[in-house]
Parts: sequence; C-alpha cells; structure tokens
Amino acid sequence: MKIAFTTKGTEWDSKMDPRFGRTEFFVVYDEETKELSFVDNKDVENEAHGAGPKAAQKLSELKANVLITGNGPGGNAATVLQKLGTDCYIGAGNMSIKEAYDAFKSGSLQKF
Amino acid sequence: MKEIVVISGKGGTGKTSITASFAVLGDRDVVIADCDVDAADMHILLQPENAQSEDFYSGELAVIDQDICTQCGKCFDVCRFEAIDVSNGIHTVDELSCEGCGYCARVCPVDAITNIPLNVGKWHIANTRFNQPFVHAKLGIGADNSGKLVAHVKNMAKEIAEKYNRPYILVDGSPGVGCPVVSSLSGAHFVVLVTEPTVSGLHDLKRVYELVHKFHIKAGCIINKSDINMNKTNEILKFLKEEDIIHLASLPYDENFTKAMTDCKTVVELKDNKLKDILTQSWEKIKKLA
Repeated sequence: MKIAFTTKGTEWDSKMDPRFGRTEFFVVYDEETKELSFVDNKDVENEAHGAGPKAAQKLSELKANVLITGNGPGGNAATVLQKLGTDCYIGAGNMSIKEAYDAFKSGSLQKF
Repeated sequence: MKEIVVISGKGGTGKTSITASFAVLGDRDVVIADCDVDAADMHILLQPENAQSEDFYSGELAVIDQDICTQCGKCFDVCRFEAIDVSNGIHTVDELSCEGCGYCARVCPVDAITNIPLNVGKWHIANTRFNQPFVHAKLGIGADNSGKLVAHVKNMAKEIAEKYNRPYILVDGSPGVGCPVVSSLSGAHFVVLVTEPTVSGLHDLKRVYELVHKFHIKAGCIINKSDINMNKTNEILKFLKEEDIIHLASLPYDENFTKAMTDCKTVVELKDNKLKDILTQSWEKIKKLA
C-alpha cells in the first residue's frame, strides 16, 4: 500500500503540513518496498485559485491509496479524492511524519 | 503556536471591529494577519507603522507587442472575456477584463502576445500602534483576492510568531466561502464565527460553518447586536446547540462601536463600557479553547 502525507519536509522526522492543497510537499511511503519518496508541491502552492483540486490531481499521479493530512481537503478536492478512491485520514497536522504513520497504523486517526 | 481565525460569512456583522479588539487585548501574545484583503480595513484601527512592503504577483496578463502585431484580429475572435479592445484598427488588452487564460497567445500567428505575471498589489509587514507585528495586504483596483495571497500573509505571520515566540496568530479571515476562506481556515486551531441576528446573518453563518465543520476545526460564535432581534438570536442559539458550536458571547447593540470607530480606535479602548468586559471574557475563553 502507498501512503501519502502532506508535509513541510522530506524525512521521517519532518513536520506534517496541516494544509492539503497548499502543502509544501507530498511524501509517499510505499509499504511494500519500504521506500520513502517525495514530490515538491511548489507549483500548486503558486496557483492563485483551485490549489485543492490540482493537488488532488497530483496525488492521483502518485497512485497513493491513502492520504494522511491535517484539516482535510476542501469540498472540490474531496470530490476528486472520493472519485479516485483515495482514503483520507485527518488530524495529523501537528505531528511528525513518523508520528502520523504510527497514529494511522494504530487506528487513532479520524477518517475524513 | 495556535492559529485563531475570525470569520463571519456575512459582511457588516462586526468581524473586523471584534478582531481588532482581540488584537488589542492579545497585546504581546499575538501576531496579527489581515486576510480580508478585498476590503482590508483593520489597518485603520491598528494604524501600523514602519511597513516593509513587497509587490505581490498573482495570475497573468496578456500583453500585445505592437511592433510584431499584424492586427489580424484572431485574438479578438477567441477571447471570451471581451478583453481585446480594438480602436482605429489597433488591438490592445483591457487589463481589467483579461483573465490571463493565454488563449490569445496560443492563436496569435506571429507570436506577438505573451502572458506576464500580474502585479495585483502589495503585502506589508508592519507594527501596530501597540507595537505588535501586523501582516496585511492591499490589492490594486480590480484585483481579486486569492487563496495564494491569503496563504502568503498567513505564512509570513507564522514565521514572525515562531521567530519572536508569540503564542497566537490572530487572523481576520476572508469573506464568503470560496478559495480565500478555505485558505484562511486551513491550518487553523480555532475559529471564531461572528454573526448578527438577521436572516442573512444566520443563513451565511450556516453556510460558512459547513466549511469549518468539513475541516474539523473547533468553533465558537459571537452574536453581535444580539438584542435587536431576539427571535433570530434564539434561532442562532438553537443552531449553535445543534451543531455543538460554543456560544462565546452575545454582544448588545451598542453605539460605542461606532464611537470608537470614528476615533480610529477599538471598542475595548473606550472607558466604562460593557462591551470591553464581554470581549475580554471572550478573548480569555478563546485562548483556552485554541
């Protein structure tokens, strides 16, 4: 399973970014290969409008099964994610990526 | 560091007057961010000084190079925003109508059109007359607020709060329920909803709360001018109860608000008024809830 995180950095210890559309990075953890990769989200951050749906599009290209974030996506982005079948978990805005992953695994994150 | 966002949905409920009052009460604990940049007016009450300013670019604008243009009119034909003006056979771009979509540049047979980044205004970092950091922005004529600008103003405020160890960021949020509001809300720890007992006050409160609820942010509500229509106030209270929104305070209609405003002051700076006590209690509650 591939898990995507909205983050402010690219390491396990990096902080999560509570925002979805204008997050600084998307970090993806592939549970099969145990690999951590990242995508810079600067191009979407620089969009005047519609950052949410564009970030959702980016997420679809990363083929993530699960998204872990802070507040959760806005209405338009949520529709895109729902169509993609990406499960979204929220409430990890103040954690590190590692803490967010552990919280997800232990089932303590809320499903959006 | 906690981010407190004040929004109202409806205009004219007293959101900015109340936010500015909280800014004064927050004293050295707060960094203030004015994200209501369409009609930014908190600076009138807080009178910032020593601003450090920078241009802000958002979106694009088509520009026609008249040296290359053959005046063929293809751009005029495709523009769906009627942003190409023709006068004496010369084609120019109407800056206020251009949406920067780039269609004209695409169809131009001689590549005379380019899209340039659009300067929409300035953002400022300044100090209020209470010597608090204040981040705000001013848009140019016809320019429109964006999630990008709001995110930028909030990021600047966050950086300052971290640098100077201020526990709270107080955000005067954007109006409506669109992109700038989504951007105002994302990352917030607590939302203060300011409303008034009118039909549209309640309607817009419900609309904006839908968004707050979607983001799972804790919310509290202040009913301003609560005694002008007790029936509506009771309806609002019922809504707050149903949705589990904390009722922070009901403010009576009070001309001290206007009096303070005409003196370019916040209402909490006036002596002997009830509003000051209620707002002080509300601010203490909000700090605990954030």
